[in-house]
Amino acid sequence: MAGRLRIRHETRVGYPSPAGSSYNEVRMSPLTLPTQTVLDSRLDVAPAASLWTYWDYWGTQVTVFDLTDSHTSLSLTATSLVETAPPTPLPTPLDRAEIAARSADSRLTEYLSATPRTTVSPDLAAQACAAADGLDAHQTAAALTDLVRERVSYTQGTTGVHSGAQDAWDQRAGVCQDFAHLTAALLRAAGIPTRYVSGYLHPSPDAELDRPVAGESHAWVEYWAGEWIGQDPTNGTRPGESHVIVARGREYGDVPPHKGVYRGAPGELPQVRVEFTRLA
Amino acid sequence: MADIFDSYTTADAWDEMFERPGVVRPAYEAVFAALSPLDSLELRYRTDQMARAFTDRGVTYSYGGEERPFPLDLVPRLLDAVEWDRLSRGVRQRVLALEAFLADAYGRQRVFADGVVPYRLLYSSPHFHRAAHGIEPPNGVRVHVSGIDLVRDEEGRFRVLEDNVRVPSGVSYVIENRRVMTRTFPALFAEQPVRPVDEYPQRLLAALKACAPEGVTDPVVVVLTPGVANAAYFEHALLARLMGVQLVEGRDLVCSGNKVRMRTTRGETPVHVIYRRLDDDFLDPLHFRPDSLIGVPGIMSAAHAGNVTLANAVGNGIADDKLLYTYVPDLIRYYLAEEPLLPNVETIRPEEPGRLEEVLDQLDRLVLKPVDGAGGKGIVIGPRAERDALDRLAEEVKADPRGWIAQRPVALSTSPTLSRRGDGQDGLAPRHIDLRPFAVHDGSDVWLVPGGLTRVALGEGNLIVNSSQGGGSKDTWVLAPDAPPSRTTGERSTAVSEVSPRQFGPGGTSTPGGPAQEEAQQQ
Repeated sequence: MAGRLRIRHETRVGYPSPAGSSYNEVRMSPLTLPTQTVLDSRLDVAPAASLWTYWDYWGTQVTVFDLTDSHTSLSLTATSLVETAPPTPLPTPLDRAEIAARSADSRLTEYLSATPRTTVSPDLAAQACAAADGLDAHQTAAALTDLVRERVSYTQGTTGVHSGAQDAWDQRAGVCQDFAHLTAALLRAAGIPTRYVSGYLHPSPDAELDRPVAGESHAWVEYWAGEWIGQDPTNGTRPGESHVIVARGREYGDVPPHKGVYRGAPGELPQVRVEFTRLA
Repeated sequence: MADIFDSYTTADAWDEMFERPGVVRPAYEAVFAALSPLDSLELRYRTDQMARAFTDRGVTYSYGGEERPFPLDLVPRLLDAVEWDRLSRGVRQRVLALEAFLADAYGRQRVFADGVVPYRLLYSSPHFHRAAHGIEPPNGVRVHVSGIDLVRDEEGRFRVLEDNVRVPSGVSYVIENRRVMTRTFPALFAEQPVRPVDEYPQRLLAALKACAPEGVTDPVVVVLTPGVANAAYFEHALLARLMGVQLVEGRDLVCSGNKVRMRTTRGETPVHVIYRRLDDDFLDPLHFRPDSLIGVPGIMSAAHAGNVTLANAVGNGIADDKLLYTYVPDLIRYYLAEEPLLPNVETIRPEEPGRLEEVLDQLDRLVLKPVDGAGGKGIVIGPRAERDALDRLAEEVKADPRGWIAQRPVALSTSPTLSRRGDGQDGLAPRHIDLRPFAVHDGSDVWLVPGGLTRVALGEGNLIVNSSQGGGSKDTWVLAPDAPPSRTTGERSTAVSEVSPRQFGPGGTSTPGGPAQEEAQQQ
């Protein structure tokens, strides 16, 4: 049973005084994968700009544009139509020792080391190792997700885009980005390669067909147990047909949905609206 | 033996001029004969003349807040044709291996998959710029300009001390040293053919044009400088002038639609090749440091789209990490199927299992270098360090074994250098030197400017060649086998420099006691 979702992701930034020469990268195009198929994906920019697309180191489709004339607002509208699939049954994981051996000197090494947002204190790393003792990779992911969910409550406004895993742990509060960073940090501390996933989550899987519902962009993780396995620590679930994958990296900094620099005074906080429509 | 060479004793190192006291090496016979009749007053007088010429031309560096001429010693450093040929083949080999490594690391990563270099070395390098992934240099060149630092060991063998493939500086000294030497001391050049160095700017320009984006027949090349406050600004200005191209700062360039243009008084004109003397981190605030005001937003995307070429390429820092240095002999075997022509200095990697203890046990007999230290920063020479300094070092190395390499101390070779002797008189005394040859890669050939920069530690027994530590330089001669004997070296007839005096010199600092290498990785 496959789902078909239309996603409309609007971002609008207003500038109190006109902004000039703005340079931007947008990572909002979902990936086509065995578990999801992108039927259509586009980005509209206002003021109008010519768009250029490339695939970056992480395999993400990036749209690049610049605005050299002065402007008082910038709006991005990313729309996509995606078919998703329910989660497949969990495969038997490799033993932890085998995972350690295969990731010691391979491309997986990249997903084992801490990055700025996935650095935690040695104490917390030790706690993660202790919690994972004797467990297989799936059990470890479940145990560490529980550890995060017990400690951290989902609260908006306590952390920002630059916050890291340790901040969320210390404040006992955070959003999906923080849950994902923290879970990734703990899994890596336990020796399991883990990547950060940026994407979308339909908020109500049983929503009426063809009726738009408001939602948000989302982040979760994938850990490697012989193959990559998704884990959504914010919701304590495995990603399924409500999840749409856009990008994977070591942390948010590798996959930001929008980043830009421009000349001018600081703009207002971006207004973001994500809308989902179930089509099938 | 003449006055000025009286009491010249060779130290416990290879001496460049004397085989043993009183016996001059064949290559130096003419120079020895020319210098011998002079007295120390005359040497001092000519040295002061050269210093005044440097001050006038702005070839100065900042010493304790004061602008001083970069000391040029008047006794040249000589390399005969055979030795130079061997040495330049070794440098060429090394540059090609590093090129192959960079193409691989930013491409298929075979060298890691094949177990020659561990993946973690790549992933843990702060210079592995994933944003450079997918930028294909039009003619395959990433290391357009390199400076491979060499020292001659106790047996007279050249060894590589480090590779500089990001933004190596110092070639302006090579050009200026020769200019002032030929003016001040023409007689020295009269007796033998010395290969000119003034070809460098045109070679560089040709290499920069050769890497222009595909389809551009008459590429516009510019030199991008961080600005006048940069220690090597004089060099940036000199090279731009000698190549006949524009010297620009970040604010002079503007990107739109993935193309780069230069603001001029006649409007915006396209730019195709940027010889950038700006560190990666400052190049594009969209990808690297967002607070960089000296960079050009959008330039990475323009490079990615293939509309502009950046020289040297972004991300080269993974190849001159000192930990990677230890693998370069393996890289030469792996990529080129050749044996290294120039050996490394024997090096231990403390990060390898069991080696940390080995290093800690003999800290007082080793030279410890931070893998990412520019300008000789953080280098500790064990035999010359105090006990408490070694204790602190041990803690640092234990905390971050990946951050260090350990080498045996090498007694750098010596060269006769004008010095104030113990009796207050001027005379020539042995002083330690190194050599930085500069290589230019145009895609079909790696060309070396004959000679390179010889730096000299002016203090007795001192192994530090940095100008900030009282180092100077020497004109470096490569003797030509076939050229007519009366030919003088390249002197360009250029207009008087309009560049005003400013700080110029290896900006690096170093800890006392190290054979510190200036790297002057700008900014």
